[in-house]
Amino acid sequence: MATERTDLQQLLNRRYSAGFVTDIETDSLPPGLNEEVIRALSARKREPEWMTQWRLEAYRHWLTMTPPTWAKLNIAPIDFQAISYYAAPKKAPKSLAEVDPKLLETYDKLGVPLHERARLAGVAVDAVFDSVSVGTTFREELAKAGVIFCSMSEAIREHPEIVKQYLGSVVPQRDNFFAALNSAVFSDGSFVFIPKGVRCPMELSTYFRINAGHTGQFERTLIVAEEGASVSYLEGCTAPMRDENQLHAAVVELVALERANIKYSTVQNWYPGDENGKGGIYNFVTKRGDCRGDDSRISWTQVETGSAITWKYPSCILRGDRSVGEFNSVALTHHRQQADTGTKMIHIGRDTRSKIVSKGISAGHGQNTYRGLVKIEKNATNARNYTQCDSLLIGKKCGAHTFPYMEVKNPSAIVEHEATTSKISDEQLFYCRSRGLDEENAVSMIVDGFCKQVFRELPMEFAVEAKKLLDVSLEGAIG
Amino acid sequence: MLKIHNLHVRIGGREILKGLSLQVNAGEVHAIMGPNGAGKSTLGNVLAGRSGYEVTQGSVAYEGRDLLQLEPEVRAAAGVFLAFQYPVEIPGVNNTYFLRAALNAQRKARGESELDSREFLQLVREKLKVMQLPPELMNRAVNEGFSGGEKKRNEIFQMAVLEPKLAILDETDSGLDIDALKQVAEGVNALRDPKRAFIVITHYQRLLDYIVPDFVHVLADGRIVESGGAQLAQELEAHGYAWVRERKPAEAAV
Amino acid sequence: MSAVVAPFIESMRAAALPASGIAWLDAARREAMQTFLSAGLPNARHELWKYTALRALEQRGYAARDENASTRIVDGSAFALPGIDGPQLVLVNGVFRADLSRLNDLPQGLSVQPLSRALAENPEPLRFLLSRRVQESRDAFVSLNAALAADGALVRVASGAEIEKPLHIVHLGAPADSIVAWHARSFIELGEGARLHIVEHDAAAGEHAHFANLACEYMLQKNARLDLLTLQDASAGATLLRHGEFHLHEDAQLALHALELGGALARHEIRIALDGDRSRVDTRGAYALRSRQHADTELLIEHRGRDTTSDSLWRGVADGRARGVFHGAITVRQGADGADAQLSNKNLLLSEGAEIDTRPALEIHVDEVKAAHGATVGQLDERALFYLRSRGLPAEAARMLLVRAFCAVALSGIEPNELHEHCDALLLAHLPREDET
Repeated sequence: MATERTDLQQLLNRRYSAGFVTDIETDSLPPGLNEEVIRALSARKREPEWMTQWRLEAYRHWLTMTPPTWAKLNIAPIDFQAISYYAAPKKAPKSLAEVDPKLLETYDKLGVPLHERARLAGVAVDAVFDSVSVGTTFREELAKAGVIFCSMSEAIREHPEIVKQYLGSVVPQRDNFFAALNSAVFSDGSFVFIPKGVRCPMELSTYFRINAGHTGQFERTLIVAEEGASVSYLEGCTAPMRDENQLHAAVVELVALERANIKYSTVQNWYPGDENGKGGIYNFVTKRGDCRGDDSRISWTQVETGSAITWKYPSCILRGDRSVGEFNSVALTHHRQQADTGTKMIHIGRDTRSKIVSKGISAGHGQNTYRGLVKIEKNATNARNYTQCDSLLIGKKCGAHTFPYMEVKNPSAIVEHEATTSKISDEQLFYCRSRGLDEENAVSMIVDGFCKQVFRELPMEFAVEAKKLLDVSLEGAIG
Repeated sequence: MLKIHNLHVRIGGREILKGLSLQVNAGEVHAIMGPNGAGKSTLGNVLAGRSGYEVTQGSVAYEGRDLLQLEPEVRAAAGVFLAFQYPVEIPGVNNTYFLRAALNAQRKARGESELDSREFLQLVREKLKVMQLPPELMNRAVNEGFSGGEKKRNEIFQMAVLEPKLAILDETDSGLDIDALKQVAEGVNALRDPKRAFIVITHYQRLLDYIVPDFVHVLADGRIVESGGAQLAQELEAHGYAWVRERKPAEAAV
Repeated sequence: MSAVVAPFIESMRAAALPASGIAWLDAARREAMQTFLSAGLPNARHELWKYTALRALEQRGYAARDENASTRIVDGSAFALPGIDGPQLVLVNGVFRADLSRLNDLPQGLSVQPLSRALAENPEPLRFLLSRRVQESRDAFVSLNAALAADGALVRVASGAEIEKPLHIVHLGAPADSIVAWHARSFIELGEGARLHIVEHDAAAGEHAHFANLACEYMLQKNARLDLLTLQDASAGATLLRHGEFHLHEDAQLALHALELGGALARHEIRIALDGDRSRVDTRGAYALRSRQHADTELLIEHRGRDTTSDSLWRGVADGRARGVFHGAITVRQGADGADAQLSNKNLLLSEGAEIDTRPALEIHVDEVKAAHGATVGQLDERALFYLRSRGLPAEAARMLLVRAFCAVALSGIEPNELHEHCDALLLAHLPREDET
């Protein structure tokens, strides 16, 4: 299937080792967590002392906290001493021949280029493609604009003053149990810095940064847009991220100064686990955006399928006057998957605005839950919020749940919330079929229309992938 | 083309069609009139294949095939088209995109080649001109925010693009003012063809001034109780449906 | 359990359980008290109590009952309602008052008696109802009620009986010699095809502080219809908890109107189970709060049968430093195909210092469903205000008019007409005034 990517992007999608690969040495630390492990971890990454201290502070605080419990989840208590916090890349399949054929079939359907599949399946690829020239081309372009886009590890070494200024300023070490853990042991992540007045010339994607072919368990991302700056960041990919680690505790911090604009998009196909839903990923990501400056804007857009129990929801702190927060989400669950997602919009400044559009699709035995909080603080004059949550049920055994919370402390605010839950109407289905579309295509079209509002917010390339992803995920949902 | 024989249909336990028989040949325009509750919409929906209708007796043969056995999309590909009385809205689905997908699905089923977006757009532009429809209609979501008249015209437009063999118009005139009515009628007349048959289901005679039928049937109490030429419609308009009962009490009786 | 609420618990623990001389009843009461003591009081970590702290219970023990309730002088005008002149059952501080009630000459098919009398004369038929194990889902206060309530209303409507005149059940809080906690427990059952109209009135004879804990169970048999108005106009110092549980069988219908006006802290839990196919509930409610009032409505509707319907419309107004909390949770259980559930909660915040917390919720386990909810928090429309003033209305009057119109939808359907007008006037009187701090 032909992709619509540019030449540049085709080059980028090849595996390369120059540029952003984190400095992971071949040996790992034994499982267990204590101050020595953290020091060793920090030393391996050649971090300055202040970073080591920051980690230790977080660790000490983490020791005083207790893990949260969720009545609905059936997970065994996690033994934090049984995890190795610094691991070399796992034993990878030596070639595509060793990879699960079902996985390969999915890549086929999603139109994943052949050279991508090896990386995604975790195959250890020896050949290094034309990496130096590739790396140079777009690094040059970014450098010309003054944009810094590198790994967290590199940023700590090369741009310590920026990291020191912003790291932990949106999600402090003490914020919650998993944020504390992450702050202590995070392995790597993305660092983006857009200086004053700069509009980042291209969409930044995690495709650009490849390290050892698997996602880290404790990723840390920091994106800073200075006054008048703007950037669009893409995370994830449509092929299922197969991972040994069931538990992910990541932290993403976004800082938007005056008149800055950050757009963060995620298209994620979580590993759904086996047919009975066992082995799905527990995804504890603290994603928070601080609209620190007046007239700043942060938007979160996500399309997620598969099984992930997510705790902590992409949030916006609308601190600056006239700042704007947006959350657009499509969550699809099929088979026995569960998704629990939502957002928090905290209105603090004056004349702030937030908009939430959440579309949930449940099929098979899937369960989809939306949890959202809109909080209008005392001095948030003239705050405006509009929330629209719609759930679509496909099939008789699935469930859709909506739990919004609105806490309003200012009388000049206007907060509006609407939610609907229904199945695809028989009228709509019949109409499509009476025009010649078979049931599966009719459902696909109607579901796409249902999600249109959210897909519109995605960068175009992602929107195309997202649609494909939805189609593949819905297979077999009818009948 | 279409042979309906002694059709009995039940909905929710109640028998609505009680032995309806009708034969329609290619090139003919048949009008079906009747009082409310007679079963007019039921007929249209059963022919199109909507679920919820139970056929307890009788048969429907379409071009020699047993129509009632076919799935809705198979009927569509075979050339059956129902213009709905209340076309449903499908938010977020672009009208052009929808129509192209439908047309190509039908063409594929018939072993014909599919049209690419350029060819399709060309086809659409031609048809829009013929139907005198505003091009903006094509950019909107299917029926979303359409006025009553726009919805009906959109149905006729779809008919122009999909080129069915048997077109069933289910009370297409309901809710339309005289101008919209004329436009719809013009569209339908432009599609008249020796190879195409129309069943125009209507409550009022007014539409039939513009779409002059070859045959007029009166559907009352679930059956066709009288058939005639175009002038039958005028007589009904003048005397009302009760007049049929008086004239043919045996047929009109339950 | 925090030390701060301990005095409340201690005073309850020390309270003598009502002596009945009936073995099974005493045992049930002891068990309920144990349940309460081991559960402890709910706090913000309990999902259903997230926004309501039990501050009035702080550092204060309560007298377990008003020893003089049966003789306390009370003015009937404290609870008289226009248009309501039929059967009447009055409890003062949780104790039945024959002198204030009207239970003679009841219409055919209607049986009304105080719980205390039923227990004294013929307790056995009540055994099942009263000794039922307190279920897990119930909270501490329902257990406490089961332990300490000695009186309440027992109402039965025979099958097919359609009772014309509304039944007036009054829970009156009257100032006592000390600060009292009282409880009342009621059971209301409508037989097949029965019709009844009830006005449950939480009234006050003063502004005093007290704690009232009411628990009522309603059973609607097949095709029964209940029109219920809960008119809550408790004393300004009251902490009032009202817990209503409704079970609807096939084709039963419930029309519920609720007005929350009084109390320092008022919490109304409404749990409706649409068990029977085609059962239906319509709820309309309004809460109008000022100064430091706190009102919390927990509306939980469960669709269990097939083709059930619920339609809920609630309006809230908060002024001064008041806090309005609304939780409207609709659950459509597996098997409840054909459910149609709608909920709308709109709120007005009129002052800095006031707060509204609203959370409508949908939990859907069925695909043949039409469910929708909406919630808003906003303020009066400036254009409408200006329009009224440009026609000569003073600002204050214009404001009142708009707030009143805002809440009017919650009152629509209240019968008889005099009662509707009275509720409207009550609401108006309770509406926040601009000159209030």
